[in-house]
Amino acid sequence: MDLLNAPERSLRDEPNLALLEKQRAQADPRKILADRVEQLYAQLWIAILGAFAVGGIATFELWEPRYRGLMLFWWGLVLLTTLASTSLLVSYRRSPNKLDQAEQWLRWHGLAALAIGSVWGFAGAVFFPAHTGEQQVFLAFLLAGVVTGGIPVFSGSWPIFAVFAASVLLPFTYILATFGNRLFMELAALAPVFYAVNVAIAYRLASVFSTGYRLRYAYSELTDDYRILNKRLGDQLLELQEAGRQVEESGRKLALFADRAPIAVIEIGTDGCIQQLNPSAEALFGYAPAELLGKPIQTLVAPAAQAAFQQQWQTLVETGSPLLAQLMRNLRRDGLEVVCEWTVTPLVNPDGRVLSVVAQGRDMSSQLEAERMKKEFTSTLSHELRTPLTSIIGSLQLVNSGVMGGVDKDVLELTVIAERNGQRLLDLINDLLDVEKIRAGKFDITLESLAIDDVLKEALVLNRAFAERYRVELKAADSLPAACVCADRKRLLQVLTNLISNAAKFSPAGETVDIGLQQQSHSVRVSVQDRGPGIPADFRAKIFTRFSQADAATARQKGGTGLGLAICKHLIELMHGAIGFQDRPGGGTIFWIEIPMQDVSQTNKEN
Amino acid sequence: MPTRPLEKVLYVEDDEDIQRIVRMSLERVGKMSVEIVSNSSQAIDRMKAFKPDLVMLDWMMPEMDGPTLFRAMQQDPEVASLPVIFITAKASPRELEELVRLGAKGTISKPFSPKDLPDQLRGLWHALPD
Repeated sequence: MDLLNAPERSLRDEPNLALLEKQRAQADPRKILADRVEQLYAQLWIAILGAFAVGGIATFELWEPRYRGLMLFWWGLVLLTTLASTSLLVSYRRSPNKLDQAEQWLRWHGLAALAIGSVWGFAGAVFFPAHTGEQQVFLAFLLAGVVTGGIPVFSGSWPIFAVFAASVLLPFTYILATFGNRLFMELAALAPVFYAVNVAIAYRLASVFSTGYRLRYAYSELTDDYRILNKRLGDQLLELQEAGRQVEESGRKLALFADRAPIAVIEIGTDGCIQQLNPSAEALFGYAPAELLGKPIQTLVAPAAQAAFQQQWQTLVETGSPLLAQLMRNLRRDGLEVVCEWTVTPLVNPDGRVLSVVAQGRDMSSQLEAERMKKEFTSTLSHELRTPLTSIIGSLQLVNSGVMGGVDKDVLELTVIAERNGQRLLDLINDLLDVEKIRAGKFDITLESLAIDDVLKEALVLNRAFAERYRVELKAADSLPAACVCADRKRLLQVLTNLISNAAKFSPAGETVDIGLQQQSHSVRVSVQDRGPGIPADFRAKIFTRFSQADAATARQKGGTGLGLAICKHLIELMHGAIGFQDRPGGGTIFWIEIPMQDVSQTNKEN
Repeated sequence: MPTRPLEKVLYVEDDEDIQRIVRMSLERVGKMSVEIVSNSSQAIDRMKAFKPDLVMLDWMMPEMDGPTLFRAMQQDPEVASLPVIFITAKASPRELEELVRLGAKGTISKPFSPKDLPDQLRGLWHALPD
């Protein structure tokens, strides 16, 4: 988990909460309407029961045998509206979608109100003229009561009440106005006033209800907000707990890694004091557990390295850039010095300020000692083997050259063999030392300007005797083109000797090894062409790798270590040249090298 | 280039076999007069007595190695001007260059060819400034 980003995460990004908020914002007016409709239907049964009951009382009071048919018809209307309204109420109650169809239910409710009102309007219009004095007063009061009673029932929607009241009063007012009686006409004139007062009261009530609903939703919004906030807080708490758990876990892991690591791990404050270190560090420097805590890191730096360390530390804390594979002389508790390799990583906060520095180090003393011993061994090998070989080869050479006087022919044959094999042993030692130098990357090359034709002639002279032994003739063009190359003379001779002696070794007796020299645009190409058996296909890819010889039997017969070409390739590459081979038309192989021509900028470059 | 031929060579070397081979090479092949010194601490005194044309120093010797002896020679006005050639089986090209820079007139690496050694020395001798 990304601890840094978690608190910044916007709460509105969470999809479920966003949906909730959206719904709340959209649902507001629809929900208020639906609630009003709900209220209207909740009170409809009062209207139904009221109409039914008052209808019964009115029938009883107004019953006269001569109007029997009319009364029964009216009573039928009452029954019909009662049943219709009841079934409407029942359908509303069963409706699964009161919210979306609120407007439709409101219209149906308006129709029901109109029907109920009309039944009473009918009663007023029909029964008032048909009855006399007392009954007319009863009816007038009854109708006024019905209208007034409608206020609480229909005030959820004042227009419905207005329709209801109008349907009750309009026919009655018309009858009053047209009755021809002055009192009734005055009453008819009062009816609209009565109507208006009632509608005003209903309107007022309706707006009180509306305000009530709005407040209810405002409150519910607040509750929602609170709930959402609560949920967010809960979620954040969970995230924090999870983050805390992860931090703790990785902390535990890290501590475990550091504790068990075979390398020294030290955390150093910017004040240069040791804040934490692992057992390996304590063991490396010979301190007891916790003994180094709070001590300055300089405690662990050898006196001779103090000045340099101080400077490095300063830079490290200021720049916050890490150090890799830094060798340093360190001081143990017992006063011994060890050389350690350090990887130093400053812990930097987002502002770029260094908080602390973690140093990981390992003791290099034994490795350095091993390297030193190896170097010494190589050097000793070089000296101790070459010195006796100098005596062996030197003695035999003096004998074989005849300066010591005549020697018996058989003895001479043996001393020649001895000298040749002494030389072979020397070549082997030289090759091994060269390979070791290549491996250690310590091959010294001194590039100088050389006349390649002179070097080539020298190589021919040096190898003539060797070639004669295989009865092979070395042949070069009479006039070689003169060109200056940039190379190491001794090493170039070594490469040429290697290629020429190889060519001689693998050529059949009586053949010729042709040596060519061509000048190219930026380099000179020397080619050594033999009539040997060629390079086997499966050997071509690894011919320049170490210890590779095409045929072990040939190797024993012809000598050689299998190192020569690998060394040649390395030497030529150190001289910025190239080496390769190709089949020679008519049989045999052409080995070639390309050496860059003299370029002032490349003189005296060393590996 | 010295006008007279190379005649007297002094060689400081601790290995007796190599001493004998060099003596044979220079006396028999090169027809020169050779003085061999086994102990490098006596070398300067022997140089003063023998007055060689040229001094050959082995690199690695017990007591005092070739380069140290060379530096000691340079401190002694009587032998400081003697041309010195190092014979070595060990030194890297860089170390040899360093010796030449300090004043050595040449280096010959071991194993050398006793047949060719006199010619090599004469070549270096003739290359010396007069």
